[in-house]
Formats: sequence, structure tokens, C-alpha cells
Amino acid sequence: MTAPVIALFPEASFGAALNCVGIAQQLKRSGAVPVFLCHAGFTGVFAEYGFKEYHLPASAQSSQQAEENWQAFISTHLDHFNQSPMAQLQSYVAPTWEAIVDTAIQAEAGLEKLIKRIKPDAIILDNVIMFPAIANAGVPWIRVVSCAETEIPDANVPPYLSGMRPDDPERQIFEAAYLDATAAAHKRYNRFRHSRGLAPLPDGQFLEVSKHLNLLLAPSAIRHERRRPLPEGQFVFLEGCVREETRFELPTLPVNDGPLVYLSFGSLGAIDTGLIGRMIDVFATIRARFFVNVGGFLESYQNVPDNVYLGSWFPQPSIVKQADLFIHHGGNNSFCEALYYGVPSLIMPYCWDGHDNASRAAATKTGEHLGRAGWAPEQLGNKIRELIICEEMQIRMKRISSQMMSQSGTAKAASSILRTFSMLDSA
Amino acid sequence: MLKTRSNTRQNHLKLARQIVDYALENGLGEGDHLPEMILSNACGVSRTPIRSALKILEINNIVIRREEEGYFLKIHPEVAVSGGMAQLEDVEDSLANRILKDRAERRIADVQSVSALVRRYEEPRSSVLNALKILSADGIVAQLPGRAWAFQPILDTPNALRDSLSFRLILEPQAISAPGFAMDSQKAGMMRQQMEEMLARHEDEISNTAFLRLDCAFHSLIAEGSGNRFIRGALLAHHRLRSTTQEDQSIPDFRLRQALEEHLDIFDSLERSQHQLAADQMVLHLRRSQIRRPQAANRGIRPLSQGTIG
Repeated sequence: MTAPVIALFPEASFGAALNCVGIAQQLKRSGAVPVFLCHAGFTGVFAEYGFKEYHLPASAQSSQQAEENWQAFISTHLDHFNQSPMAQLQSYVAPTWEAIVDTAIQAEAGLEKLIKRIKPDAIILDNVIMFPAIANAGVPWIRVVSCAETEIPDANVPPYLSGMRPDDPERQIFEAAYLDATAAAHKRYNRFRHSRGLAPLPDGQFLEVSKHLNLLLAPSAIRHERRRPLPEGQFVFLEGCVREETRFELPTLPVNDGPLVYLSFGSLGAIDTGLIGRMIDVFATIRARFFVNVGGFLESYQNVPDNVYLGSWFPQPSIVKQADLFIHHGGNNSFCEALYYGVPSLIMPYCWDGHDNASRAAATKTGEHLGRAGWAPEQLGNKIRELIICEEMQIRMKRISSQMMSQSGTAKAASSILRTFSMLDSA
Repeated sequence: MLKTRSNTRQNHLKLARQIVDYALENGLGEGDHLPEMILSNACGVSRTPIRSALKILEINNIVIRREEEGYFLKIHPEVAVSGGMAQLEDVEDSLANRILKDRAERRIADVQSVSALVRRYEEPRSSVLNALKILSADGIVAQLPGRAWAFQPILDTPNALRDSLSFRLILEPQAISAPGFAMDSQKAGMMRQQMEEMLARHEDEISNTAFLRLDCAFHSLIAEGSGNRFIRGALLAHHRLRSTTQEDQSIPDFRLRQALEEHLDIFDSLERSQHQLAADQMVLHLRRSQIRRPQAANRGIRPLSQGTIG
């Protein structure tokens, strides 16, 4: 029997992309042939890890147009990132869903051609929307939920993107506002699905569950007690999906003592150089070493304090492993990596499921939630100091870490995929 | 003359550090023998500078010399790294490194006065001036009219790395294909051995720092062989800048190995005198190193192919 070719199609974000790298590394070890379907802008990212890439056709826009669109995006949305989840529904979530629907429509023809060319035995979709070419490919597709668990609704789980507690009295108001905000994009998307022969989805939903397998990146330490438990076998919870990275050799800083704090707001969060600059001013007053991921904006910073190190890229798992505190935006991948290595999180969310993970970190005492706007320097400084020295937190995080490490998320994901595949093959 | 002596001393100090790194990477401990020939192969230099470097390590109580037996580690290399190595550096060299590191980490501004540096480093004015002269010899700073010194572009940001790779893509294949290319086969042989040893290491055991050092040495060797003196000069100066200012980039293990294999393929072609093929392989190698990390991407936002790292 020839090795099964498994096509992984992560969305165009580093969290999903690198989560899939972790799964693909394990699939390869298990004898499968993982390949990546990716957006042209991710060229080389998967090849660097030794995987074959197949690219969707690049957009016709020139690099200058892309740069202009990007600048427009920044100037439009930067202020919105300081809003509450409810306010963001109209200002950020609604236009973002419109853009996601655009992406799915634009990708369809190219994706269909690629799938016909690759002829995969299964497709792994790590995204928030269904691409009809995948549903129509005639091979099993598997869904990876690498956003927060809130993406799969339940009465005991807070509404998706709300940052609420499950029993929040305003829950129904948020749910109604979410449906209202997404209605136009949803209607357009259902029309697109219909044109591609797919059944419509209920209001507010853009991606169905897979009838074969759904992998949820939701470690037990932060998992919700569902009113209607998800069917075992069809839904598999992972304890973390951490990829293998090169060892990060810590540079020696001019002031090189104290605990290690890592800050990364993800590729999008790095655009807020003003916020990161104000935080760096606070870091200069704390006896600790701070490693800060500033993405492509290194040139925006000058006079970096002697206990701070800026980088445009860090092999995140490797540095989180060595950290005493991880300050991040609540991206699910980042949150899970912090839990996996037993590192408390200080979550400063700016959008999407970052709000959900920030609330969950506070509720499960695996971290703290701090709003991006309106904090005073002493408040940020005190939160950092408290999280670093809290012994109770350290004991709890160590316990969570050893539990997660004992159940490799990538191994479980790969074996579930291959099991599903072999069951289908023998049927 | 003073500058030459200072540069030679610096090279011996660098070599001494490389010997300790070699001992560390190869699991050597206190009392282990450091054969000159092996060190010479590992570091890609002749035995004469190795002896000078070992002498420095001996003066600093890191190795001991036994008559007719050679040099042996007096302390564990880890102890040397954590403590004794600091003594290796004389004030000017150490200060030059500190200034350069602080510049690369964006702690100090583009233009500096000597007085500001004297205040920051609490070192005498003469030491600061000597450190600036060391950096100036490598083209890292230039004295402006008056008392200020200006830093030249260094490889400290993704954009600078992108520019560096574009520059190299223009010149490195030309360095090979220009008439008169001649490679130092002895050095190439030693370097090939180091690459093969690196490739034989287990997964994730190749350090980015060690790779970068070998990578700079490989590309410098190619530059040295060029038959065109101006290409040779420009590339050697650029690789010197890379070796002093390019930060460890955290390249995944797969790509490190692929890049080493590409180096070996280029050596193979050069040894067979297939220069045009080697030049094409160099293009492939450098293009593969231009791994583009999307500058930004998120739900609904198409990734941009900016911010080259490679």
C-alpha cells in the first residue's frame, strides 16, 4: 500500500500554519506524506520545515497595491482593537467576515484545480470557513479547530468572540448582535455555497463540523463542561499541538539578570508599535529580562533598554519553554504553548478569540487578562511582578504542563487522522 | 602597523573562542586532548594561528601545554564559557563588541559622540576611541567631520537582511562565473569536512550560531576565489559585515541541512570545474535562503510577502 497523501490547508495566519506544521511533522513520522496547500504569501514557510507546498494563485494586485491596502487596514482598524468585543462586532468582526467570504470565493477555482492535481487521500482544513472545493473533493476532510473552543457552540460555552463567562446576563444580547453583524456576509456566503452545490449553514455559522473527524486544540485545563458533550471519536480534544523548532540560544543582555518574560502579540498585533513602545518603557523598570517579538517593525524602535531584546522572529516554542511569563494576545496557539510549557499568560487581547482566551485564562487561573487600553504603568508592572512570583500559580502551571506533555497533542492528532483514514479505507 | 597587529590579535581571540565552542559542541571535558590538526580542520585555518589561539587559552588558564604531548583542557569548556572566557578579551576588543552588539540591538543611536560612549560604558576616552577604530576597520562605523561617529548599515533588521541577500544574488554567482575563478582547495577540503560533521549531528543539534559561522566562511571562500578583484573586494567586505553583525536567525533544522547540502553541491561542481553550474547552484541556494515570512496575516487579511528573512 502506498503512503497516504494528506493535504493540509491552514488559514493564512501563523498560529494555524504552525499548528499544522506540528501535526504534519508527526504524520510524516507515521509514514504518511503530508503536503501543504497555501496562500502565495506563505511561500517557503512550510518548505523550511521540509514539506512540499502547493500555492493558490497569487492575487493580481501589485506589491504596491498590497502595501497600500495594508496601510489602509492598519489605519482603519488600529483604534478598533481597543474596543470591547461587543463594539468590535460592527467595527471589526463584520468587515472581517466579509473579507473571509471574499477569500473563500476567490480561492475556489484555484483550490479546485490544485486538489485535482495533488489527488490527496484526505484533506485537513484548519480554518473558520468551508471552501466548497474541499467539501466537493470526493475525499474525507478533517476539521481542525485551532481557534478557542468557543468556535463550537454549546449552551455552557460562552458565545464565540464574546470574551464572556458562560452565565453572563448579556449573553443573549451578544448572540443577537453577532447574528446581526454577520448576517450580510452569511447570506452572501450561503448563496456561494448554493452555487457550488453545498447546503446552506445556519445563521452565524460559516463552517460545518466534519462527519469524519474534528480536532479541537483545547487542553483539559481550560476546557468547558459542555451541556451536550461532543460525540467521542468524531471530536477529539488535543492537549496542545506544539511543533518542533530549533533551539533558541538566548543572547546575553547588557543587564542580564532576573526572570525571563516573552512578549508576542502575533503577526497582526506587532503593528501596534505605540502600545509595545509604552510597554517597553515599563519593562525598563522591572528586574527581569524581556524578549519582545516586534514582527516586521524592528526599525520603529530606538534606545532599547538594556534588559530588553527585540526580535523580528523567535522560534516561539523554544523561547516559551525558557520563559517565566508569556505576554500575548490570546491567540489559541500561543495560549496552548504557554500551558504546554507551564508558563503563566498575561493576555492583552485585541480581537477575535483572544477575548475568549483572556477570560478563560483568568477563570481557570492560568493567567490574567489586561485590557490593551487604559492601563497605568504601575498596573502593568505589578501584574508582571505578581505573575512571576506567584508560587501557587507556578505549582498549578507545572501540573498542567506535565499532564499536557504526557499526552502529545501532535501524536494524538496524527494517530486520529490515520485511524479515521484507515477505517474509511477498509470500509 | 598597529591596526594589523590589533586585527591579528582579534582573529586569534576569535579562534580561541571557536576552540572552546568546538570543545563544548564535541562533548570534551577537563583533561581532554586538543590535537592541533583536528582543531585546524575544524576551524578551517592552518596550525600556526591555532597555536597562537591555544597560547592565549593557556595564558588564561583554560588549557595546559604538556611537553611533546600538546594542549589539554585545564577546565571544562562550560566553565570557560561562563567564567574564564571573559578574561580572554582585552578591553578594546570587548568594548568594540559591546558597542556593536548594542547597535545591532538598537540600544544606541546611528550617530554617536565619543563622550556619550564614554558615559555609557564608563571606559576611558582612549579605550572608546580604540574600540571605534577597530569597528571602523571592519567598515561598521565611520568618523564624521567633527567628533561624531556614524554607524554604517548593518544586518540588524529583516529589511537589511533582504537587501543583503539581493546584493549577494547579484554578485555571488558572478564571483564564480567571472573568468579566473580559483578556489583554495585545501581550505575547501577542511570546510567540506566541517559541513559533513555538522550534517552527521542528530536532529536539532546544529546550532544556528555554528551554522552562521560556517556559512560566512563558505561564502567568503567563494568570494576569495573570484577572478574579478572588485567583486572579490565587495563580497569579502560584505561577508565580514555579516560575520560580525548578522544575528542568529533561528532557521529550522530542515533548512539548515538543506543549505549545507547546497554548499557541498557547489563544492562538487567547482571541483569538477563546472563553474557555470556552480554559479546556477549558488542562485538556487540564495533564492532558497530568501524565505519570505509574511509580514502580517490574519483572518480575512491576505498575507503580504514582505519582511524577508533568510
